Amino acid sequence: MFILMKKINSIFIIDDDPITIFGIKKMLKTTVICKDIKAFENGKTALEGLTKRIEKGASVPEVIFLDINMPIMDGWEFLEEFVGMDIKEKIIINVITSSIDPLDYQRWNDFRLKCLHYLNFKNKPIYKIEATDLNRVNIAS
Amino acid sequence: MKTIETVPYHYLLKQLPKATALVDTNYSLIEASNSWLNIFDLEHFEPKNTHNRSVFDFYDSHKEFSSKTLKECLSKKHKQVIRHKRNEKENERWFESTFAPWFDEKENVLGTIVQIEDITKEIEKELELERIKTLLQAKSEVAKVGSWEYDISTENLTWCKVTKEIHQVSPNFKPKINQGIEFYKQGYSRNKISMLFHKALEDGTPYKERLIIITNKGEEKWVTAGGKAIRKNGKIVKLFGTFQDINDQVLAEIKTKESEQLLTTLIDNLPINVFIKDKESRKILVNKTECEYLGANSKDLIGKTDFDLYDDRVAQISRDEDLEVMRTLKPMIGRETINVRKDGSATNFLTSKIPLLDIKGKAYGLIGMSMDITHIKQKEDQLQDLINVTAIQNKKLINFAHIVSHNLRSHTANFSMLLEFLIKEKEEKEKKRIMKMLSHASDNLLDTLENLNEVVDISTNVNLDKKSLNLNENILKVQQNLAGFLVKNKVEFINSVPNNLSVMSVPAYLESIVLNLVTNAVKYCKPKENPTITLSAQKQEKSVVFSISDNGMGIDLNRYGGKIFGMYKTFHNNKDARGLGLYIIKNQVEAMGGNITVSSEVDKGTTFNVYFNEED
Repeated sequence: MFILMKKINSIFIIDDDPITIFGIKKMLKTTVICKDIKAFENGKTALEGLTKRIEKGASVPEVIFLDINMPIMDGWEFLEEFVGMDIKEKIIINVITSSIDPLDYQRWNDFRLKCLHYLNFKNKPIYKIEATDLNRVNIAS
Repeated sequence: MKTIETVPYHYLLKQLPKATALVDTNYSLIEASNSWLNIFDLEHFEPKNTHNRSVFDFYDSHKEFSSKTLKECLSKKHKQVIRHKRNEKENERWFESTFAPWFDEKENVLGTIVQIEDITKEIEKELELERIKTLLQAKSEVAKVGSWEYDISTENLTWCKVTKEIHQVSPNFKPKINQGIEFYKQGYSRNKISMLFHKALEDGTPYKERLIIITNKGEEKWVTAGGKAIRKNGKIVKLFGTFQDINDQVLAEIKTKESEQLLTTLIDNLPINVFIKDKESRKILVNKTECEYLGANSKDLIGKTDFDLYDDRVAQISRDEDLEVMRTLKPMIGRETINVRKDGSATNFLTSKIPLLDIKGKAYGLIGMSMDITHIKQKEDQLQDLINVTAIQNKKLINFAHIVSHNLRSHTANFSMLLEFLIKEKEEKEKKRIMKMLSHASDNLLDTLENLNEVVDISTNVNLDKKSLNLNENILKVQQNLAGFLVKNKVEFINSVPNNLSVMSVPAYLESIVLNLVTNAVKYCKPKENPTITLSAQKQEKSVVFSISDNGMGIDLNRYGGKIFGMYKTFHNNKDARGLGLYIIKNQVEAMGGNITVSSEVDKGTTFNVYFNEED
């Protein structure tokens, strides 16, 4: 099992709920090998963190877990900014929400169609990190 | 000797201007005048051709009599007359032959003297007379105009055929004058005719009157009876007159009058405005409802146009409609229109306009009908308002349901996830950590439920007990409650709210509104500047607007404008922000029928305007 564990350089978790962050981190521990997992409490701080990385010349995260409902800058606003950034790599973005409002799903789908990155939609609660949450290329090939 | 004697006769007879011939007892022609021979196409008497010729030969070419009659006429001892006809190309000529016996001195019959007269003209006149008589009779039969005549000396009354028919008596009925009068219906008709008849007898006053008779068969009939005196040497000798059956006509008139009456009653009492306009849109008929609506008599309205009665703009619209209806000949049915009278009062109508066509199919005007639907319109508007309110309420409810669903789901999702971890976890230390998190999640859930409860309270508090509250007193109360907080943050107030100004509000809501807005102003102040809060209030027509401005960090409304009053929306890095205050006060203000607006500029400050509804 450990042999199959995937290695990921960097993961961002953007959520204002510490419990969710704890949960995702805990689940990741058993799924991937990643030495660089960063948590942000809203879209704004995440965006600042990302900009700093790019300025320093460090690599952008391969995987992002993104909550929608957050103060100051929510998930959608973050996505709007993120999509507009000049990032060549295709990032896997897992949109996570406890909302069951069909409008949220619709909005996710709109983003999915217009951006180059891989977008997943996950409803809370999450019990397990799926392979597709971390790797798209393998599945597609 | 005989011949010698004959010659002078011959010459004498020949020259007679009247066509004359002598015929002997053997019916042979002895002598004839030239004029006589001319009738039979012979120029003059030639013994070779004519003498002793049978008289029948001459009459052969004539018609309309029999030779037997001729023979009888020739042999009778007294004067006889026959008429006969001869056809000449296109015309026909009529003659009258008179046969008289011819005697000698001793009264012996020698033969017959035949004299012929051309009576073509008389025959024509007779025919013409006959024709006129027939025509007159036909006319009187068709027009049902009869005649009568009364001879004063003989007391003889005669009725013509038509007069008898009108009375429904047999053709050989012989009326007496009192019978004639008794045919009239007892009462007015009989009295009237008696009077008129006697007056005519007395001084010859002519009359013509519509009266009722009761016929022989007992039917009531309207007639026109006319009478006139005939005088002889200045003395009245006869009365004559006409007698006409006008029953159908009178009944039709009565019927028309009744229909007219019915129509007028109907139009007048319809609870809708009815009017008829001519080509120039002038009113030519208005009903009672229209008169009442316009507050004028119908005679004052006739001839007026909409421009005389309504606001110019409305009148022009109406005139355009009229022209369209008369041009296209298509009725305008049930259009919603608004009439504005000269005094400015408006009425909603459901109006129909129907073109009036002449015999050639061209419009010469229109009939208009308008139903006042103002009250229906008002109900409709009220209903629309209600629908709008309901729609807003519904939207709010859905929004709230989503908030509830989302907030509760996020907590339960956490429980679910943490419990899953707990079940699988083997390490004691990690288990404890998860347990701690679970208890944290539980606290969060309770908090959320409390918040939601607060919101539900506002929304369900239907019986809002609004009171007139002094605004400044409430501001002061909040300042006292927040005294420590305000001193610590070195808050300065600039208060220009008039001391006597009151607002209609639920006491707890007013406190909550002022408290939240003041707290927000302090919370979002600029880090290195002391907060200044400016309070003002103004009485407006239907509301009091309370303004609270700060010099704080402001908020980018282009970005957050749509969310600022949303639940759990926070926009600054402030640990105390719950994202609940503005959501709650917006609900409170709206629950009281008011409104709240915001204007802001980043790094300059924010102003909230609260509109208290002072009407209900």
